[in-house]
Amino acid sequence: MAYSRELIRNFCIIAHIDHGKSTLADRMMELTDTVAVRDMEEQMLDTMEIERERGITIKATAVRMFYTHTDGKKYMLNLIDTPGHVDFTYEVSRSLAACEGAVLVVDATQGIEAQTLANVYLALDNDLEIVPVINKIDLPSAQPEFVIKEIEDVIGLPAEEAPRISAKNGINIDQVLQQVVDNIPAPSGDPEAPLQALIFDSIYDNYKGALSYVRVKNGTVRPGMRIRYMATGREFDVTEVGVFTPGLLPTDSLTAGEVGYISASIKSVAETKVGDTITDADNPAKEALPGYKQANPMVFCGIYPADGADYENLRDALDKLKLNDASLSYEPETSMALGFGFRCGFLGLLHMEIIQERLEREFDLDLVTTSPSVIYKVKLTNGCETWLDNPSNMPSVAEIEYMEEPVVEAHIMTPSEYVGTIMELCQDKRGVFKDMTYIEEDRVNIKYELPLNEIIYDFFDQLKSRSRGYASFDYELKEYVKSDLVKLDFLLNGDICDALSTIVHRDKAYAKGRAVAEKLQEVIPRQQFEIPIQAAIGGKIIARETVRAVRKDVLAKCYGGDISRKKKLLEKQKEGKKRMRQIGTVSLPSDAFMSVLRIN
Amino acid sequence: MAGIYLHVPFCVKKCAYCDFVSFPEQSRADAYFQALYKEIAMAAAECGGKKFDTVFFGGGTPSAVPLEFICAAVERISAEFDLEISEATIECNPGTVDMGKLAAYRKAGFNRISIGVQSFDDGLLRSIGRIHSARQAEETVKLARSVGFENINIDLMYGLPGQSEKEYIDSIERGGLLGVDHISAYSLILEEGTPLYDWVKEGRIVLPDDDAVYDMHRAGMARLESLGYKRYEISNYARPSCQCRHNINYWDVGEYIGLGLNSSSALRSKSGELIRFKNCESIDNYISEINCGRLPRENVESIGRENEMFEWIMLGLRKIEGVELGRFKARFGADVCEVYREAVNKLENMGWLTVDQRFMRLTDRGLDMQNSALMEFMQ
Repeated sequence: MAYSRELIRNFCIIAHIDHGKSTLADRMMELTDTVAVRDMEEQMLDTMEIERERGITIKATAVRMFYTHTDGKKYMLNLIDTPGHVDFTYEVSRSLAACEGAVLVVDATQGIEAQTLANVYLALDNDLEIVPVINKIDLPSAQPEFVIKEIEDVIGLPAEEAPRISAKNGINIDQVLQQVVDNIPAPSGDPEAPLQALIFDSIYDNYKGALSYVRVKNGTVRPGMRIRYMATGREFDVTEVGVFTPGLLPTDSLTAGEVGYISASIKSVAETKVGDTITDADNPAKEALPGYKQANPMVFCGIYPADGADYENLRDALDKLKLNDASLSYEPETSMALGFGFRCGFLGLLHMEIIQERLEREFDLDLVTTSPSVIYKVKLTNGCETWLDNPSNMPSVAEIEYMEEPVVEAHIMTPSEYVGTIMELCQDKRGVFKDMTYIEEDRVNIKYELPLNEIIYDFFDQLKSRSRGYASFDYELKEYVKSDLVKLDFLLNGDICDALSTIVHRDKAYAKGRAVAEKLQEVIPRQQFEIPIQAAIGGKIIARETVRAVRKDVLAKCYGGDISRKKKLLEKQKEGKKRMRQIGTVSLPSDAFMSVLRIN
Repeated sequence: MAGIYLHVPFCVKKCAYCDFVSFPEQSRADAYFQALYKEIAMAAAECGGKKFDTVFFGGGTPSAVPLEFICAAVERISAEFDLEISEATIECNPGTVDMGKLAAYRKAGFNRISIGVQSFDDGLLRSIGRIHSARQAEETVKLARSVGFENINIDLMYGLPGQSEKEYIDSIERGGLLGVDHISAYSLILEEGTPLYDWVKEGRIVLPDDDAVYDMHRAGMARLESLGYKRYEISNYARPSCQCRHNINYWDVGEYIGLGLNSSSALRSKSGELIRFKNCESIDNYISEINCGRLPRENVESIGRENEMFEWIMLGLRKIEGVELGRFKARFGADVCEVYREAVNKLENMGWLTVDQRFMRLTDRGLDMQNSALMEFMQ
C-alpha cells in the first residue's frame, strides 16, 4: 500500500566538506530509530573506505526514515546523500532534481564556502525549498549570528529561524526534522500517470546486478513490469523494487513521490545512466524528465602496472570499478617507456585520485601514472578536426592549423585578505579576470576564466596554501578557445621518454622544461654511464641536466664468513633494479614519473 | 683444509659505525666463555676427521676480555680439533693491549695480529667513537713486532665524516713507515641501527660524497701499491706472501666452523654438499642452548649446486686473481665460461672482465663495479 503522499518529504543535505553533512545524517537516522544506536557507525551512508577516510561522499545513497512530528502524524523522510565535490556536479544536480527540498548545513565557525554556494544555486535552479541549518554551535569559535546574516546576504534566504545545532553532540536535531516537514513541500505527481522515474545514481550489486536508484515522479513501478530506459532505449523486466533502510528492503511497489531502487537484472551500470528516465514500456510517458546529460571525462592520464606482469590484473580491476562507475572510461594504450597500460578518463582530478587510490588499495596494485592531460581540440591543416587526450599522439607541428584547449569558469571564495595572492596565482595560471564581488565586508567571490590544464595539477593545493585553507573553489567547463600549445618532450640519453611528454602553453614551456629536467636529475639514480637529460620542444633543446655516472658499486666491507648476508644485499639490489623502468638504456624508478607531476 | 672462527662479542665501547654483534659491558664474559668452551667440544665432535689450518679470533674486541679467557679458548681448540696451523690471527684494539698481553697472545700460538687502527688522525678517531689515539695505535704495532708477531695487519677506513683524501693517504703512509705486513682498507658503510646512521640522517654529520670517496679509494690504492702492498682482494693489500689465508678460504668457498655468538659456518656434508648456518644472535639464548646441550644454530641452509656456483663467482671475483677455472671445473664438472656464457660475454665486451688460461677475473673497472657485474651472473 502506498504511503500517503502528503506525509512524504524528499530532501538532501548540502554542505561543504567537513561542515558536518554525514554526521547530521547519522544523527537523523538515530533520532528516527532508522538504525539502532548499537549498529551505528560514523558516516553511516559513506560505505566506501575511502569515503570515510577522506570525509567525502563519492556515490549517492539514500535512506528512508519515519519521523513523528509534533502534529502527531508519522512522516516518511527520504534523505538522498549526494556527493559534494566539483567533479561530480552533474550527479549532484540529478540528486537535487529527485528532491523537493534541501537542508543547507553551514559551519558556524566558517561560513559559506564556494562549493556550498554552487550547490545552493543548483538547488535553487531545481526549485528546491532550502532549510538552512547552523552547525557546530557548541564550538567556542562559533558565530551563529554572523553566519545567519551571511546566509541572508549572500543567498537571500531568511535564516533567523534556522536551527542552531551540533550534529556531533546531537543538539537540536529534532528541530531540523520538524522544519523539513514544515517547510519542504510534499511531492506532487500522479500515481496513475505513465511511469517516470528519475535515476539519481546506480550501483552494482554482486547478486542483483546494476541497480537504478530512482525518485518516482509519476506513475508506479512494480516487479514484473517491463520498463524502458528512455535515453538508451533499452528495456528490462523489473525483478524487484525496494527502499533504503539504509540497506536494501524489497517492497511491493514504488509510487509517485517515493524514493527507492529498481532491480531488473541489468549487467552494467552503463545501462542505467544517471539522469535517465525510466518509463513503462507498455505505457510509456510522452517525454523523458528534463536534465539528462552524457557525463564526459575531462581529465585523462595513463595508468600502467609498475610490474608489467600485472597488466591483466589492472584490466580486471578497472572492469570491476567500471561496473559501479559509469563515468570512468579507459582503453588500452602502449607506451614505449611503460609498456602496456590504459588511457583513463575521469570527471576531474578528485575522481582520478580516487580511482588510482582504489586500484592500489582495493586491488593491491602498484601503479605508474603519467601526467594528467585534458582533452584538446586539434584543427589540422587538411581541414579535419580531432580530439587529443594523450600528448604522445600530438600530430607534428606542420600538420596542425591550430589547437584549442578547454577553459573553465572558476568561482573562488576567499577572505578578502588573500585576494592579492590568489589573483597572482590565477594570473600565473593564465587566468582571465572576470569579476569580483564582496559577499560581505571581508569575503569576496572572484570569478576567473582559467585553462583547465592549468588547474589539474596543483591549483587546488596552492589555493589552499596561499589562503591558509580558507579559500574554496568551484568550476564548470565553459568553452574551448584557441591557444598556443606545444608538446614538451624529455629525452633520456637521447631517447624521448613518451610517458613524460606533456602539452603546455608556449609561455610556460621553458620554465616547466627546466624544472622537470632538474627534478629528473634528482630522482634518476646514477648509472654505469653518464645520462644527459634534455627537455625539448619540437627539435629544440630548451634545458639540459646530467646524471653523472656511478663510479663505484662494490661491497667494500668484509662481513666475515657471513656469505648469506652478502648474498641478501645483492639480491636486494637486484630486486631494486628489477623494479626500475627501462627507458632505452636508462633505468628509471617508477616513482620518477609521479615526482615529476609534483612540480610547480 | 678448513678454518676456525671464534667470536668475542665484547668491546670496551661500541664504535659509532659498528653493526656487529658485540656488547660494551663485559659482565657476561665469564658465562659466555664457559658456554663457548662447551661449544668448542660439541662442534669439534661434529667435525671429527676434518683438518683445520687457520684460526681467527674476531669480534667485537678479543683483546677487551681477560687474557685467561683467550688462552683457555686456544687450549680447548687445540685439544678438541685436528689442527695443522699455518695461520692464527687475533684482532685487537690498540686501547686494550699492553706488551704483556701481546706477548701472551704470541706465546699462546697466535702468529698474526690484526690491529683496528682505522685512522692515524685523533680527530677522526674521536668522531667515529674509537677509544684509542693514533699514538696508541703506533705503539701497539711496534709492541706487536717486538714480541715476535711477523705478520701484522692494520685496518684502515676511508669515507669517514670529515675525512680528506690527504688524511687517508697520510694514514696509509704511517702504516707503511711502521712496516706492517698487511693493510685492510675499507670504506665506511653506513649501517642502519648504528648511531652514525642516525647522526647522518639527522644531518648532524656529513659524510664525504660518493665522488670524494671514490677518489680516496683510487688514491689510496695507488699509494698502497707504491709502498709495496699488493692488492689481492677488493679491500685487502699485502706484502708478498702475507695474504690472510683465513679470509682467502672464505673467498675460495672453503669450509669453516664459526664458534661463539652470531658466527657463521660453512661445512660440507659427506656427499659434498655445502651447508651454511649461523649461531644465534642473542647471548642469553646462546648460553642457555649450550647449557642444555644443544648447538645454538639458526638458518641452516643447504646451498644447492647452482647457488654454490654463484657463490664461487660472487666470492672468487673479490680476489684480484679471480676465479680459478680449473678449480671450478673440478668442483662442478663444468666450464665457468659455459655456465655463465651470456654474462661473461657481456662483461668482457664492457671491459669489466677478462678470462685467460687459468683465471676469470674482473678488470680494474670491473672491480670498482663488482655488484653491478654480479647482477649479470644472477638469474
